[in-house]
Amino acid sequence: MKRDINSNGYIFLYSTILVVVVTVLLTTASLWLQPYQQRNKENEKRIKILEAAGVFEDGNIDLIEGKLPLYLVNDSINVVPLHGKGLWGPIWGYLAIAPDGKTVLGANFDHKSETPGLGGEITTEKFQSQFKGKQISSDGKYIPIEFDAITGATKTSNGVKEMIDNTMQQYYQHEP
Amino acid sequence: MSHKKLLIEPLRKANPVTVLVLGICSCLAVTAQLKPALVMGASVTVVTALSNFIISLLRKGIPNRIRIIVQLVVVATLVILIDQFLKAFAYDVSKRLSVYVGLIITNCIIMGRLEAFALSHGPWESFLDGLGNGLGYSLILVIVAFFRELLGSGTLLGYQIIPQSFYEAGYQNNGLMILPPMALIIIGVIIWINNNKTESK
Repeated sequence: MKRDINSNGYIFLYSTILVVVVTVLLTTASLWLQPYQQRNKENEKRIKILEAAGVFEDGNIDLIEGKLPLYLVNDSINVVPLHGKGLWGPIWGYLAIAPDGKTVLGANFDHKSETPGLGGEITTEKFQSQFKGKQISSDGKYIPIEFDAITGATKTSNGVKEMIDNTMQQYYQHEP
Repeated sequence: MSHKKLLIEPLRKANPVTVLVLGICSCLAVTAQLKPALVMGASVTVVTALSNFIISLLRKGIPNRIRIIVQLVVVATLVILIDQFLKAFAYDVSKRLSVYVGLIITNCIIMGRLEAFALSHGPWESFLDGLGNGLGYSLILVIVAFFRELLGSGTLLGYQIIPQSFYEAGYQNNGLMILPPMALIIIGVIIWINNNKTESK
């Protein structure tokens, strides 16, 4: 008995089977590869934290779980994780602060979908290096960091500023 | 057509990029350096070859009215698998290629070969045809990336090629090479040379 391959019943059956097969395949692959992908992500995070702190040999990172998360590199440098909004999507980064809590040692930013060449420039060395050595607090109070915005990327630059302001204010309120 | 011809023809005489002018968009995006171009070429080759093979196996059972959807599902599945593999085993390259791996789905070469070839030929021929077209695409990608990285950054695969003494003597990297428009110009030159040679025969 030959089936009509253009009948509605056959089309429904065909697409159902196809979708089930594909779903099973993709789920299996995803479950199998997840540990590898997770490891890559953690590795990248580690490198980013060390870069922000300016430590290039293997550094030692500890996560301090308080009210707010804080990374301690080589038992002295504080690295604060930042999360904020860019123009098109989330931006995030790390800010390394000297043991005295007053000066910035370095910063590292990344983004999901900022415009390459404009907002995307926040990942460049040129943009990030201007944070080095900036004063961030006096008498235990946070003072906003001033930095040069990127021409043509006002929204992203403001996003970076807001991200740093919001996060750091909380840190200095709770644990000066 | 003989099997060998299926594999060789898309490299030059029926090259998907220079003769059929398909898949230009991704050529601009991933050719600023050689390494992403190589990975992108390999990924597209795997997808074209396998999707051609699978669709050709299924071709007698695919209902005509939903054949484009079936093709898309097969291609999308393969692309997602490749994306996951790259994320797991070649993380930095996958970050640099970012959305372009996902956009392999919309690469005209793949759908074009499925419609024009795989639906009417056997699995083995289709596989070779896909392989040939993928390689033809990769070839152009690699040629463009070679010139763009060499002249734009003075490196190849990240290794310094142009000696430091050149820079001291006043040589400068060509910044235009890094920008996307230059890829179009190089592809244009390749098409020009290619047409010139094939017509004189």
